[in-house]
Amino acid sequence: MNNSKKKTLIYRIAAFLVIMAIAAVMFVIGRGHTVYFDNKSSDLVAEVPYKIEVKVDGKKVASLKKNERGMVDVMGQKLTMELVVTEEKGGDTVQMKVTQPLPYNMDGIILNIPAMLKGASQDQYVSEFISVPSESDAAEEVVVTDDTAGLMDFGEESEASQG
Amino acid sequence: MTEKTNTITLGDRVKDIAKDFGLPRLIITGFLVLLLVVSPFVGADLPTQISNIINRFSWNGILVLAMVPMVHSGCGLNFGLPLGIISGLLGATLSIELGFTGAFSFLMAILLATPFALVFGCIYGWLLNKIKGGEMMIATYVGFSSVSLMCMMWLLLPYHSPNMVWGMAGKGLRTTISLEGYYTQALAKILQINIGNLSIPTGSILFFALLAFGMWAFLHTKTGTAMTAVGSNPEFARSSGVNVDKIRLISVVMSTWLAAIGILVYEQGFGFIQLYMAPFYMALPAVSAILIGGASVNKASVMNVIIGTILFQGIVTMTPTVMNNMIHLDMSEVIRIIVSNGMILYALTRKTEETK
Amino acid sequence: MNKINYGDLLRRFSVPLMFVIICAVCAPISGLSPSYLCNEIVTRMGRNAFLILSLLIPIMAGMGLNFSMTLGAMAGEIGLILVSDWQIVGIPGMILAMIVSVPISALLGLFCGKVLNMAKGREMITSYIISFFINGIYQLIVLYLMGPVIPIQHSNIKLPRGYGIRNTVSLLSMRQKLDNLIPLNIGGVKIPVATFIIIFLLCLVIIWFRKTKLGQDMRAVGQDMGVARDSGIDVERTRIISMVLSTVFAGIGMIIYLQNMGNIATYSSHSQIGMFCIAALLVGGASVEKASIGNVFLGIILFHTMFIVAPKAGTVITGDSMIGEYFRVFVSYAVITVALIMYETNKRKNKSKAGEQLALAQEEANE
Repeated sequence: MNNSKKKTLIYRIAAFLVIMAIAAVMFVIGRGHTVYFDNKSSDLVAEVPYKIEVKVDGKKVASLKKNERGMVDVMGQKLTMELVVTEEKGGDTVQMKVTQPLPYNMDGIILNIPAMLKGASQDQYVSEFISVPSESDAAEEVVVTDDTAGLMDFGEESEASQG
Repeated sequence: MTEKTNTITLGDRVKDIAKDFGLPRLIITGFLVLLLVVSPFVGADLPTQISNIINRFSWNGILVLAMVPMVHSGCGLNFGLPLGIISGLLGATLSIELGFTGAFSFLMAILLATPFALVFGCIYGWLLNKIKGGEMMIATYVGFSSVSLMCMMWLLLPYHSPNMVWGMAGKGLRTTISLEGYYTQALAKILQINIGNLSIPTGSILFFALLAFGMWAFLHTKTGTAMTAVGSNPEFARSSGVNVDKIRLISVVMSTWLAAIGILVYEQGFGFIQLYMAPFYMALPAVSAILIGGASVNKASVMNVIIGTILFQGIVTMTPTVMNNMIHLDMSEVIRIIVSNGMILYALTRKTEETK
Repeated sequence: MNKINYGDLLRRFSVPLMFVIICAVCAPISGLSPSYLCNEIVTRMGRNAFLILSLLIPIMAGMGLNFSMTLGAMAGEIGLILVSDWQIVGIPGMILAMIVSVPISALLGLFCGKVLNMAKGREMITSYIISFFINGIYQLIVLYLMGPVIPIQHSNIKLPRGYGIRNTVSLLSMRQKLDNLIPLNIGGVKIPVATFIIIFLLCLVIIWFRKTKLGQDMRAVGQDMGVARDSGIDVERTRIISMVLSTVFAGIGMIIYLQNMGNIATYSSHSQIGMFCIAALLVGGASVEKASIGNVFLGIILFHTMFIVAPKAGTVITGDSMIGEYFRVFVSYAVITVALIMYETNKRKNKSKAGEQLALAQEEANE
């Protein structure tokens, strides 16, 4: 009796640990970031390429001319991207594959690509994007906790019910 | 010696009262007293608060009173209150549609609501007699079904009064209809007392008192005592020659009719008729009010109604002002939900007399 | 004998039959194309099936329709709110939300089971009130405690006043990630394969569970509590377990539901979910004491077909879109009402039959 009790206890602890481990893994692989790509000059790089194309998972997510910014939502701790750099208009293109670790504590990350290509250190070309709450975000909203609020809509994707 | 026994009996009595009263009720009463004591210190005007409570009491009292007959006859808490409310709404809208105005429209609304309440009550009572033992759940859903059926009806029924229908379409009733020019404050204005910030709607209270006294008197008639007998021991009642089904039917009809009158009184205080989804959850505050007043699933008195309505409405009106003034945080809605439903839950989990 | 059977059969399938008729009449009037209808129903099947399946276990344990499945839905929402504040996205976000929701659901299920054990014989009304009561607690947590007590960082989730959650929380980063995990398109109908696999797994679990010792106990408790207790089953514990399981499944189901919707209506998403799930199950031919997996799927098809076509048909017939909307709400409630009435009348019939038999046996004994 005691033995079987011990056994169930061990099973339970094991199950608990496994679930905690899964949760930890989810924290690591599931962290979402918004990555912004800049093609801008900085202290390190005075002259920027004419055009940079960024591909993630084989999909083109940004095509940046001088002083332009693109963005992509990604998941995980690393971002592997393909860059197609055109130094001068009509000139040859250089293709390269870059893997960039993403800092966990930043939601929005700005990558200065010219600086990155120059081989500058991490903290010189990675900076945090701090979003400014938009007007509508900052406006106080009235919370509707009406009991009868959900009576009419069920599984309707933002279909206007007011005729 | 005598002193000692005295204190013991006193202590026992206090304990007995507390036990009778129930812990949640004690907490709620304490909470309300606390609110009343605190309110002057946080800058809320006490007379205004008190007249608010009295006003709200006069609006809601009859809806709570409607619970009494069905609890007495053993049908449990009338979660099907919306059915009666709909009868009242039909009476109200018909009275306006037929062109009655002023305080007279209130009288006509009552008269017009009565046949609906009787018919609906009879059907409802007949249904509840078929399903003895499962009344409360089915009552809830009878209420819901009737409200949602009427939602369609408000749109489809041939109402034409320009004060009630949508201006653009010229048909279909509006969600809220103002009673300005009809029976707003029809009862409250009678013998109204105004002392500074304190105002008492004497007429409404007298009307409630009349119905409450009627209820009390009815419960002491032959039919009334038979009703109590049916509720407390149906087998015994049947063997002593009482027609159980008939008594239950009467109680349901009474409850439905009182709900119809109750909503009309509520409207005359509130000043608007609310249609469509509005009656949906109106049963819950009434149910929890009577339970707070000391009633249980199978025991209720007129006194429970009065105490319960005052306590419930007191908390509903006091918490927002006091909380806002004190911590600038209006948690009253959440408190209302937790208190009222917690009270119903508490009552449902008490062992009833039969199962004891 | 045969005749009675037909009558019984007709009564048992009266609700589904009625719905087949409603759908058959309304569908052509609504003017919706069959491919659109198919698409919608497949989507809704993936969205709702898990939630509705969570209702089966308490029915097995004789606790009736679990109106307090909303408790699980609230736990699922809390999980999703937290996960979207932690910025965990996609499928890992869903899994994490489930892991967060399970202990909350289990705790709520435990509470619910304990309360229902104190209210035997009126489980349904009590579970219904529990859902309101816990909704109050949920609002307390989400509206006041999230922010100062439970850290919430992002301003697109938190209200500008500094505490409380906004009316809607976007789940864009998670939207239909599970549905589109294994893309499949048959004849223009998008099929959420991964979601269906999970639903199928839950069906298997339920079938397996019925055969385990615990499942057998549960059925025994559902049939007759007294007999079950005499044969040594811990009735109270079994009932609590059935509530816990149902609530946990409902929580996971809500996460699947919301990933399909793509946003949480913080204060209303859960409030009617129990009602609609129960209505769908009943439309599928289930009753208060008996429900099968087949009922779930038939129910979703019929109920949601009605849900899609009724407003459109109502608009065509009366020129007012609200009529159809009110009609479908009315039908949902009416179905539950009818099912409850049938359940109670059956119960009384059986009781009086048992009483008659007892009286007969006594008479015989006296002779």
